[in-house]
Amino acid sequence: MTPAFEKLQQQLKQLPGLGYRSAERIALHLLVEKPAQLTALVSALEAAARSVRRCERCGNLAEGDVCGICADERRDRSVVCVVEHVPDLVALERSGAYRGSYHVLHGKLSPIHGVGPDQLNLAALQARLAAGEVAELILALSNDVEGEATCHYLTEQLPPAQAVKVTRIGFGLPSGGGVLYADSVTLKSALDGRRSYS
Amino acid sequence: MRLRTLTLRHFRNVAFARLDFVGRRQFFVGQNGQGKTNLLEAAGYLTAARSFRTAESATLLMHDQTTAAVACTLEHARLGETQVTIKVHRHSKELWCDQTRVTRLADYLGKFPTVVFSSQDLQLVRGAPAGRRRWLDLTLAAMDGSYLQALQTYTRALAERNALLKKGGAVAAQLEAFERVLAPAAVELIARRISGLQSIGAGMAAGYQKLCDGTEPAALVYAPDFAQPDQEALLARWAAGRARDLALRSTHTGPHRDDFALKVSGQEAKDFGSEGQQRSVVLALRLAQAAWFHAKSGVRPVLLADDVLGELDPGRRRKFWATIDPESQVLATGTALPDAELGTWEIFRVKEGDFQPEASA
Repeated sequence: MTPAFEKLQQQLKQLPGLGYRSAERIALHLLVEKPAQLTALVSALEAAARSVRRCERCGNLAEGDVCGICADERRDRSVVCVVEHVPDLVALERSGAYRGSYHVLHGKLSPIHGVGPDQLNLAALQARLAAGEVAELILALSNDVEGEATCHYLTEQLPPAQAVKVTRIGFGLPSGGGVLYADSVTLKSALDGRRSYS
Repeated sequence: MRLRTLTLRHFRNVAFARLDFVGRRQFFVGQNGQGKTNLLEAAGYLTAARSFRTAESATLLMHDQTTAAVACTLEHARLGETQVTIKVHRHSKELWCDQTRVTRLADYLGKFPTVVFSSQDLQLVRGAPAGRRRWLDLTLAAMDGSYLQALQTYTRALAERNALLKKGGAVAAQLEAFERVLAPAAVELIARRISGLQSIGAGMAAGYQKLCDGTEPAALVYAPDFAQPDQEALLARWAAGRARDLALRSTHTGPHRDDFALKVSGQEAKDFGSEGQQRSVVLALRLAQAAWFHAKSGVRPVLLADDVLGELDPGRRRKFWATIDPESQVLATGTALPDAELGTWEIFRVKEGDFQPEASA
């Protein structure tokens, strides 16, 4: 292969989810098999790089100052669901079950990996809380050590004067799933998180 | 539980070996460095996919190999005839139980108990607290998935807290966030250590009486860094220690600093025990571990006696064998054949990683 081809392949290989073979396949596809797609792809990348940025309010992807969800008047702004990453938000949106707003932290506290409060999208959340528009904060961070610690940190940082209700999403059995096939750790959190039934 | 076959492939110095066991007593005899302990290590690996000799998977692989495998067919009190296969790669391992891949260690733990008796066990009495903690964690986690989960959470949160302490600066709020994750895990660890050590300690005291004709009492005493399994008390302790921890750049209080003492006649065997007392205490501790495994899981552990027979005087040796549950399978090693008075054994001659069964005498 040529040096230019190898450089392209190297760049592709660094993308998440792509190995050496996939990178080679994509490069060949774009250069040899469907060169017409190449121009469209390059211009789409350039356009997206120019216009897509973080929503000023919630950290979601946006074109313009705020994202589609923050701009939507019908969404309930008093309920804020805090997630780690944009794909988490996308998954929750796909469920169609949620009509409140979001806040994307773009990570979780992990001193081992050099992630502290300064690396997270916290200032915008503080501003929203200080503005007094938030009645409930739903913590939808993962339930590992770092996710739990980030939840504790967020709770400690709440302005004391305001009565913000803080909730944690439930962890347990998948819907439609029986007790039989659940692993022991999931069963434990399902039992810990049980609620009164009546 | 009884092993019927044990197969090793590319495991340390054993290129390939398939051993068939008929009864409950197997003896491996050979010179030092031939592979006797490697075989026991492989059998012990079944319990928790952990070696009793090393924490490094890579050292288990035969030179120039990328995968080692241990497989066995066993008779099990609850599961009937079961096949277990463990493949060890350089940085990972695969567990298979009856042709099904096991993806969660917590679901596997506790099913296939083994207990090792090794000359290195003396370090449990004489050595540093870290060795005793490792034994304690492996023993309790082998029977209790919740203990393992609490231990993993605690270890991870502790590493995060220590990373913060090394970074330094104004990190009090972040420290507190990780302390709040540490606290429930720590409470779980302390509570389970108290009850586990209580049962094992009672068994050890009784075993020591049998081994030593009841001349002097032995005891196992939990020496926790902080004895109260109470979240608020622990949180207060970590909060109070922040300045010191920041100065020393690591966490100086918590269950990761726990220890336990083995005592004979009220005195620490480490400092005051004779060589014989120390050996007997360790044997009694291992016997109690075996009894506890049996009580917890309903499965008799396989006993792996690595050259311990040779180290005991004949009187103690007899009492040791009299104390062992006769229904338990024993895999033993030695440089010489066992005394005739210890019953009949299936003998295997071990030479350079090769195992030859000897026609039954």
